[in-house]
Amino acid sequence: MDSSTLELHPLHKGAEADLFLSELPPWKAVVKRRVRKAYRNEELDAKIRKERTVRESSAIRDAKIAGARTPSILGLDLERCSIIMTFVEGAVARDAIDTMSNSSRLTLLKELGRQVGFLHSAGIVHGDLTTSNIILPDGARPFIIDFGMATKSSEPEDRGTDLHLLQRSLIATHALDATSSFKRVAKGYREAAGPETTRSSLRKAAEIARRGRYFAIR
Amino acid sequence: MFLGIESTAHTFGASIVDDQGRILTNVNSTYRAPTGIGIHPRKAAEHLNDVSSSVIEKALQGPEAKFLPDAVGYSAGPGLGPCLRIGATISRALALYMDKPLVPVHHGVAHLDLAMAAGHSHDPLAVLVSGGHTAIAVHLNRRWRIYGETEDITLGNLLDMFAREAKLPSPGGVAVESKAKESSTLLPLPYTVKGNDVAYSGLLTAALRLLNEGRSLADICFSIQEVSFAMLAEAVERSLVQTRKSEVLIAGGVAANHRLREMIQMVAEDHGATFHPVPVEYSGDCGAQIACSGRLAFESGITISVPESFVNPRWRLDEIDVPWIPRP
Repeated sequence: MDSSTLELHPLHKGAEADLFLSELPPWKAVVKRRVRKAYRNEELDAKIRKERTVRESSAIRDAKIAGARTPSILGLDLERCSIIMTFVEGAVARDAIDTMSNSSRLTLLKELGRQVGFLHSAGIVHGDLTTSNIILPDGARPFIIDFGMATKSSEPEDRGTDLHLLQRSLIATHALDATSSFKRVAKGYREAAGPETTRSSLRKAAEIARRGRYFAIR
Repeated sequence: MFLGIESTAHTFGASIVDDQGRILTNVNSTYRAPTGIGIHPRKAAEHLNDVSSSVIEKALQGPEAKFLPDAVGYSAGPGLGPCLRIGATISRALALYMDKPLVPVHHGVAHLDLAMAAGHSHDPLAVLVSGGHTAIAVHLNRRWRIYGETEDITLGNLLDMFAREAKLPSPGGVAVESKAKESSTLLPLPYTVKGNDVAYSGLLTAALRLLNEGRSLADICFSIQEVSFAMLAEAVERSLVQTRKSEVLIAGGVAANHRLREMIQMVAEDHGATFHPVPVEYSGDCGAQIACSGRLAFESGITISVPESFVNPRWRLDEIDVPWIPRP
C-alpha cells in the first residue's frame, strides 16, 4: 500500500514513530511512520526500522486473533516504514489514571492484566507496556496500542519483562502502591493466562526487578 | 565550607565547596590498572590509602590559610567495599578530630548533583553512565525514580572490559573512543532494548568474538559505540516522551564520550528539551561531586553519627531521599 497518496494530519510525535490521522473510508485511520533517527548510524537505523515495521504489524494481527483489544491493520507501506491501522478514540491511560476514582482504577488494572494475559497466552509479548500505550475509550474496555517492540515469545523471561515494565510504569509515573496495584493486574492476568503461565511470569517479573543495579538481596 | 571525600573505586578525591556550592578546591588521584588487567579492589584500595593524606592536605589548602570545613561528607556507596572503607575511615577520623558532623553521600546521586550544578539543570531527565551505573532517572516525590537501566553490565563495564581484552590502555572508554574515530564500518552486533531497559552483555560477547576472529579493532570499536550508544539513546528517547521533561542531563564517566553526548543531545533537542551535559572535567569520579552533594544533604539536615556511619557497596540510586531536587 502506498501511504504517500494519503492525506496526513499530524497526530502525535512518539519516541520512534510519527503518527498521522487520515481517512481511509469507511475508516478513520492512523498512519504510523517510523522516521529516520539522526542519532543512529544510517545503516543500523534502516535495518531496525524495517524489521520493527514488519514485526509490529504481524504482532497486532496475532494479538487481535488472541482476543486482545488492539487497532486493526488496514495496510502496510514498507518503503516508508509505515503501518496504516484503525484509529482508536479515547484518553491515554497515562493522563487519566491519576484522576480516576479508586474503584474504576482497580477495575482498569484488572482488565489490563486480562488483556496482557491474552497476549501472553498467544505467545506475544508487547515489549513496551507503559500507561502511555493504553487507550481508554469512553465507557469501554481499554485498548492496548503500539506493538512496536512486540516479539513472538513464550519465554517466561519475556513475559516477565512485560509485567515488570507495566509495574514500573505504575510506580514510577503514577506513584501507585506497588503491591496492591499489581495484585489487581495479576488477578486479571490469571483469568486470561491460567495459573501455570501466571506463576512463571510473575516469578520472572520479580526476578527481573531485582536484577537492577545494587539490590541488597540478590 | 564543606569537605567531600570520594573513595568508591579507582579515585581518591577531596574537595572544598563554599556555602553557595562553588568549588574552591578539587584534588583527585586515580589508580590506573596495568594494560590488559582490570582494577583489583585491593590494589585500588592500597592506592587510595597511599595518596589519601596528600590529596586531603592539598584540598584543604586555601589561598592564604587552611580551610576549616563545617562538615565532612564521604562516599558511602555504591562501590568497591575495600575502597569505600578507606574513605569512610578517614572521614570518620577527620570528623571526630575536627568535631564536625559527618554526612553520608550516595556516589550516583552525587554525580547527578554536581552535573546539575555545573550544567545548570533544575529538574532533568537524568542519564547516568559510568562504570557503576547505566540508568535513566527522574525525580518524583523526594526520590530519583529509575525509568530505565541496564539489566546486566553497565556501559562503563562494556567499554572497560572490551578495552582490557583488546589490550587497550586504561581508561578503556577513552581508548575505545579514539580507536573508533579511525573507522566508519559497521559490523553486526546485537541491539537489545527491552522497553526502557538495555542489556550489554550479549554485545560484549559478540564484540569479543569479532576481536578473536581478527576483525579490525577500529571497526569493532566504532561498532560498539554506534550500537551500544544508540540503544541507550533510544531508551532515553522513550523515557523522555513518557516523562515529558524539558531538560536532559548526562553525567558520569562515560558522559565524557563525545559521540554519546552528541547522540543524547540530538534526542533532547528533537523533543524540545534542553541538553545539559556535565562538563568533561567533572564527568569522572571526583571529590567535588561528594562535596557538592554532601553540602546539599547537610543543608537538608542529613548527618550521621560516627558509630552509626556505614558503607554500602550496593546502594541503589532510588533508595535514598533527595529532598533538595528540583533545584531552584
